[in-house]
Amino acid sequence: MTPRERWLALFAREKPDRIPTDYWATDEVTSRLLREFRCGTIDELYTRLHIDGVVRIDAPRTCEHHPDDPRADIWGMRRRTINYGPGAYDEFDNHPLAAATTVEQIHAYHWPSAEDHDYEAYRREIRRAPRHRLIRSGEFEPFLLYCAMRGMEQAMMDLLVEPDMVQAALDHIFQYHYNLNQRMFEIGKGIVDVVYIAEDLGGQTALLFSRAQIRRFILPNQKKMADLARSYGVHVFYHTDGAARDILPDLITVTGIEVLNPIQWRCPGMERDGLVRDFGDKVIFHGAVDNQQTLPFGSPDDVRREVLDNIAIFSGARWICAPCHNLQPVTSTENILALYNTIFEHGRL
Amino acid sequence: MEDLKKLYDAILVGNFKAAREVTEKALAENVDPQMMVQQYMIPAMDEVGRRYEANEYFVPELLIAARAMKASLELIRPLLIARGAEPAGRVAIGTVKGDLHDIGKNLVAAMLEGAGFEVIDLGVDVTPEKFITAVNERNANLVAMSALLTTTMSSMKTIVEAFRTAGARSKVKIMIGGAPVTQKYADEIGADGYSSNANGAVALARRLTAA
Repeated sequence: MTPRERWLALFAREKPDRIPTDYWATDEVTSRLLREFRCGTIDELYTRLHIDGVVRIDAPRTCEHHPDDPRADIWGMRRRTINYGPGAYDEFDNHPLAAATTVEQIHAYHWPSAEDHDYEAYRREIRRAPRHRLIRSGEFEPFLLYCAMRGMEQAMMDLLVEPDMVQAALDHIFQYHYNLNQRMFEIGKGIVDVVYIAEDLGGQTALLFSRAQIRRFILPNQKKMADLARSYGVHVFYHTDGAARDILPDLITVTGIEVLNPIQWRCPGMERDGLVRDFGDKVIFHGAVDNQQTLPFGSPDDVRREVLDNIAIFSGARWICAPCHNLQPVTSTENILALYNTIFEHGRL
Repeated sequence: MEDLKKLYDAILVGNFKAAREVTEKALAENVDPQMMVQQYMIPAMDEVGRRYEANEYFVPELLIAARAMKASLELIRPLLIARGAEPAGRVAIGTVKGDLHDIGKNLVAAMLEGAGFEVIDLGVDVTPEKFITAVNERNANLVAMSALLTTTMSSMKTIVEAFRTAGARSKVKIMIGGAPVTQKYADEIGADGYSSNANGAVALARRLTAA
């Protein structure tokens, strides 16, 4: 079976030849692995480590900057790079909606347009897409964007004190992504396999927001986006960090998610056997190799044991083996090898 | 006389305007500020913390309650200082070097402030030197460190060691928290305590400063 066929077998509730695998990592880790394994491309690395990695193709932007701020991205956010020694990450340096006080100001903001993308380039790219790998186009994570535009604490308080402003902004963000994704799904019909829909609803110990807030602000647009994808035969891959157990029934029945990532099983309520028992017949689990303790700070034996545990726990369900979120530079190559070697050796179905 | 139950309620529902108004009126009537803190603000924030632990409140509710508490405390604090009232403890709090994530740190800071601690907020990307200076110059008896990233939490170990090297370790209790942090890690690096959430951090701070 090809990597794509393995994923599609799970979507079709059929048995693949072995448990599919996926790869999420920071650029520093990918560069290191490419160097250490002498691979020229990510595809070579996937083949070398038997990873059923996904290829992401999106319509390139025709403008990179906000009309009112040439140093900002299309949403109006500037970034700065934070160095922490062995690596670096980008943080937002401003919050363009921070000073807004009315719904009118939200509407008056220069929102990006789905027209600002090159769909001919996308058409060429999608036609050249490798047939052996799963193809992902489109994404949608509106509240995360709102947090960046508004400042995280204000954005969270807005759910209670400025609900109309939140809703107005989320609707603008939705409309842009809906139009963009629809154009891509249309062009990539029959080629695009999955869309990435996300919202971080769980914290380390509990939901970040109440179910009432999630049902009001997050789920309706999420469902429309998922329905759009489904109407083109595109599967819904869903990401939420953390302890999200209490909202999973809604994500399954309202949004209609098909893949749930990343299964942070150390968080309360996210215990693997409980998830398999309650949701194992409804979603494909993706991830579940702990990236807060096991991968960064455990030994290769700890990683091996965890992968073997997962194989046993998820045996009655559908599981794609992957790290819980991006592998970070603190994770040794030995641990990464332990992950992919163990699943390759023991993941035959 | 101003009904101070309104202050309690304003904090509980996160109405900062009402919290400020009630406080202004009460202070104009010469109500004892220490009594307002002890009998209304701290119990209100304790109840906020209880509701958070019981999954009745979530982060947005916590944030607006903290905002209301701060609106009142801003008016009261100068009077407490003028009277020489001693806080429950002095906490130097910050997100460790290399890490800019501060919502968890801010929630802990607000809850500690609401529990009567004096909070010295060192912000984000805080070096060991800054923590030590805060302890030496501001007389903090508690250090609270936060990290979200697995790549930055090792700074916590460096900071504990820096306190030892500077001969200042015995002056302070050190507590840590953040998504990847665990009790096991706290034990390993020689911190005095760990909490997984903002409400637990208050209980921990009370325990550490009472000892």
